[in-house]
Amino acid sequence: MKGARMSPDLSLRDELRNLAAASLSSGFCTSVMMPVRTDSGDYIWSLITDPVKLSGADPLPPVMTVNGAKALSSFARGREADRILAFLRPCEARAAVELSKLEQLDQEKVFMVTMDCTGAVPLRDWLENRELEPDISSPSSLRPLCRQCVSFTGEGDICLTDHGDPGILIPLTDKGVSLLEALDYEITEDCDAWKAWTAELVRERDVSAAAGRAEMSTAYAGLDGLAKLFSGCIGCRSCRTVCPICYCRLCFIDMKDRRFPASDHLRRSERAGASRLSSNTLLFHIGRMAHMSLSCVSCGMCEDACPSDIPIGRLVGMVSERTTDLFDYRAGGDRGGLLPLNTFEKDELHEFED
Amino acid sequence: MSSRTDGNRDSLKYSGVLTPDTASSESLKDLLHHLLNEGGFQAVFTLRKTPVAGRFCYSLISDPALLSEAVPFHPVMPVQGARALTELTRDGIPEGIVAVLLRPCELRAFIENVKQVQGAFDNLMVISCICPGVIPAARHIREAGKELLKRFESSVAEGTIPEDARAACSYCTDFTPPAHTDMTVVLAGDSASAEVGTIYLHSELAISSAEALNSYRIEISTGELRPPESLIRARRSNLSLLLSGKEDTPYGLSSLVDVFSACIGCRGCREVCPLCHCIICDYETDRTRYSPSLVKKLARTKGAVRVPSGTVQFQIGRMVHISASCVSCGQCSDACPVGIPVADIFARAGRSVQETLGYRPGANLEETPPMAAYQVNELESITD
Repeated sequence: MKGARMSPDLSLRDELRNLAAASLSSGFCTSVMMPVRTDSGDYIWSLITDPVKLSGADPLPPVMTVNGAKALSSFARGREADRILAFLRPCEARAAVELSKLEQLDQEKVFMVTMDCTGAVPLRDWLENRELEPDISSPSSLRPLCRQCVSFTGEGDICLTDHGDPGILIPLTDKGVSLLEALDYEITEDCDAWKAWTAELVRERDVSAAAGRAEMSTAYAGLDGLAKLFSGCIGCRSCRTVCPICYCRLCFIDMKDRRFPASDHLRRSERAGASRLSSNTLLFHIGRMAHMSLSCVSCGMCEDACPSDIPIGRLVGMVSERTTDLFDYRAGGDRGGLLPLNTFEKDELHEFED
Repeated sequence: MSSRTDGNRDSLKYSGVLTPDTASSESLKDLLHHLLNEGGFQAVFTLRKTPVAGRFCYSLISDPALLSEAVPFHPVMPVQGARALTELTRDGIPEGIVAVLLRPCELRAFIENVKQVQGAFDNLMVISCICPGVIPAARHIREAGKELLKRFESSVAEGTIPEDARAACSYCTDFTPPAHTDMTVVLAGDSASAEVGTIYLHSELAISSAEALNSYRIEISTGELRPPESLIRARRSNLSLLLSGKEDTPYGLSSLVDVFSACIGCRGCREVCPLCHCIICDYETDRTRYSPSLVKKLARTKGAVRVPSGTVQFQIGRMVHISASCVSCGQCSDACPVGIPVADIFARAGRSVQETLGYRPGANLEETPPMAAYQVNELESITD
């Protein structure tokens, strides 16, 4: 594996900005999607065609306000012949791959640039202190899911890393090579330092991820555990709306056949002595997990958005680890591949047969 | 069930008064026990504890033994009661009578929903309150503990607006129940008032249900329920601050763009709103969604465009759809994960729409929602 040298005097942030500017001005792409800091100090995604507008862009925001794949799928389709350079965190690039398999974005149009991801700080912490910066060497500064993430680099068409001397732009696909070649980068650099760093951090994170998942599965095992976890759910559905994978316009839980007459609610209450309204809290969360856990990239957006502080991202992450293992599947991997539920195999899952 | 008021929420009439032997939250539970055990009620709809300390939910309770878990009018609103009651009554009414405990803003929202055929009053006995307000749900969770609650309760007892109350509660002037209330529990009063815990009875059903109650003294007397004077003055002054803009409320397109730059698009404000009941929101349809080609065209012509697009469009659109009916419950602000004062913005817009159209959302079932009422001669003030 070879990469191209970064300019020795540029930071990772500036190298990313340069790449955006060069791809626009060279005409290699028609637009760039990047986080931008607004006048109010918030981070939003912006689709930029004018290089001048790159001045407020920040490819390394400390927080994740919207999963980039969600932003990307809102426009990266259609008949126009366009080419979009999208600057994404690794988990966002993986979500984009899943959305492409789900036919919610046209991957042909998109060149995905990722970078070594430091992780993000919890949205709530950042809202209280806008100076907070994630520190990859201090896990407590990161969102719980970022602390457990083992896919923090090496996704997309190109990955930029500062684990090299100087940093390296690593093309990961033919598209990545074509972009670097079009911008006159020479792909000659070894990536050994990056590989060693990655392997070491993956080892560390594997341990904490296993511990985190074990903690979740003991604390919230079974239906009673889930009832406990979701007892504070206010039904705002933010977890679903901010999820890059949940794209249905009409969620199963909002369909009319999920509505029940008063007599049904009262019957339920009489059977159990009492019954909760909203009645479908657990059905919603379990149903959503059944629908999206195979494609979950553990981006943590759901957990950041939950106004009731429910560790929902860690729960879905734990479940998704199990379901993807079952199908030997990796969300965001194998870009041409099919989704497990869209693939029929004559010989599979015998362990679930009688 | 008979009509109980003259339709003016400032003068809800009563025909009986219950005075508790000792004023405590337990006496209200005695009433609920009585309704289930002796009153022949099918269930009680109230806030209830969950298995996790500090977390509450609305619940139907049929088994009197489970009333031990009931926390009627606990000062937090995890779900807007109208939303839960709509779920119960939208697709068929209860066979027996259900006692429902709702705050005034929840009841007003429910009245709006009934007008929109999203629920029904049949076989409900409504117990509402003179409402001291609620604590924002997030604060309630994060500062969990007796201290917060004690602070809140002592400031209610002093007849002041609790500092820990929702912003929307601090400027709420409609904290006495509207029409269609059978019983009103006094939870907030003037500092001088000794009547906290008293229950006013507004209907024959209320009187007959409470007659044989042990822990209360019943008195048959008539009068009009009035909000406590000092509280209404304090809240009116907060409201006029909000309406005059001195409170720094975002107004105008450019400040809306600024304030919603923090919006993460979770649509929690819409999902928790008791009035937003559309199965598919207008802003999820192709009629209003920014198409990929429109987004790209905007990016080309302006040099850059925010994606996903339509953040402020959604907020303004939702405002257009619900502002005439908005009861300023504050649930949207509570649910916002990034702390945008959605309720303040909607309260301000709502007031101005409601005053222009002469409509009082949730006051009663009789007033027709303005968008459903066509008048040949109206709104000449805003016609050219």
